[in-house]
Amino acid sequence: MAGISMQDIKRRVKSVTSIEHITNAMKLVSAAKLRRAKVTFERTGEYFHFVTESIQDIFNGSADIPMKYIEGNREIKTTCYVVITSNKGLCGSFNSNVIKQAEAEIKADPEAPEIVAVGSRGRDYFARRGYDICSEYMLPPEDISFVETHDVSEPIIRQYEEGKIDEVVMIYTSFVSTLEQRVKIVRLLPFEIKRDLDAMPLEKQVEYEPSIEDVFNYLVPKYVEIMIYSAIVESATCEHAARRMAMENATDNANNMIADLTLFYNRARQAAITSEITEIVSGADALK
Amino acid sequence: MPKSVRLDIITPEKLFYRGEIELVIARTLFGDEGFMANHTWACKLLATGELWIQEAGSKDFRIAAISGGFIDIKEKFTIFTDAAEWPEDIDVERAKNSESKARELLKDSSRVGSGGKEIVEAKIDIMKAHTRMNVAVGGVRRKR
Repeated sequence: MAGISMQDIKRRVKSVTSIEHITNAMKLVSAAKLRRAKVTFERTGEYFHFVTESIQDIFNGSADIPMKYIEGNREIKTTCYVVITSNKGLCGSFNSNVIKQAEAEIKADPEAPEIVAVGSRGRDYFARRGYDICSEYMLPPEDISFVETHDVSEPIIRQYEEGKIDEVVMIYTSFVSTLEQRVKIVRLLPFEIKRDLDAMPLEKQVEYEPSIEDVFNYLVPKYVEIMIYSAIVESATCEHAARRMAMENATDNANNMIADLTLFYNRARQAAITSEITEIVSGADALK
Repeated sequence: MPKSVRLDIITPEKLFYRGEIELVIARTLFGDEGFMANHTWACKLLATGELWIQEAGSKDFRIAAISGGFIDIKEKFTIFTDAAEWPEDIDVERAKNSESKARELLKDSSRVGSGGKEIVEAKIDIMKAHTRMNVAVGGVRRKR
């Protein structure tokens, strides 16, 4: 530890300690937010299957449904990518994972993509690289309500209906556990559905009102809306989980650093004392 | 006593209601319609409006405001809606505000433009506000 004075080490310990305070506080905040986000996330997931089941039921039950939402009815040219990231950093590799996957996906697409960026991190990344971002949403994802996500999903559905886009792909982080999150790529439209030949026809006639097309045309966009909503909620949960992990690691590292530095400091102090004693002794010897 | 049936009301955010009911009255696109147990299977779109629920063994109705959606009638009833509120959760002031805002927008036609989309949205806003205000005071129909 030659060359570093005790004063320097002391200063570093001080600065690392204050960083540790900050990361520890952020960890606690993220843990609290994670708990809350998880509750919302679990609630949304629970009932989502209901809409898909209804769509499947109608599809199986009737031959004359509108085909515009169904796979294989038009050539796929322009693809719209919905990239869901966070608005804030300091959450480890959370955003870069999503962005990496999204970029690989976009590069593999020969046609010019349309990008819908949810969260400023993804928007900034793609804007810097000269991609065309057709719309962006910077809402704080923690307490987003379903009605607010209309702003995201409505233009997508409209463009799809107008034929400006032929495919909608969503890239977001899915929640496996508090320690593990995985990037997921989901195709929202056209709707992948297969006529289930084995499915039992419903045992009773179902009465659709105003008409089966209208019900179907209502359900599929609703499905897209709900998918986008639940992905945003899920991504927010992951963001907090990722940030909690990142901050926990940072706190641990800071603590290790403090321990090392304290050791160096004590050694340097001891060395200083030893050399002082040697000087005194040798001085006293010289007087004899 | 009439037969009862299970009703679930689902919004994307939560399970709004689950319980045994005798009768539910919902506003479909063609008007109010009541559903009781053993109804023909159906799948109907709902308009913004009031929802009246008569729980099993109860004489009174519970009222909620819902904003569009659809009802699925099978052995169980399921209502799926974008948003649902009980009267006690409704903020009347906010409903009034959103109504007056929408009305202003309609009056000031220069701001609306010729698209028509804004007009429709403003009208829906007014309808939603009315529904919420009505529900907050116990529903507009069959006031007792």
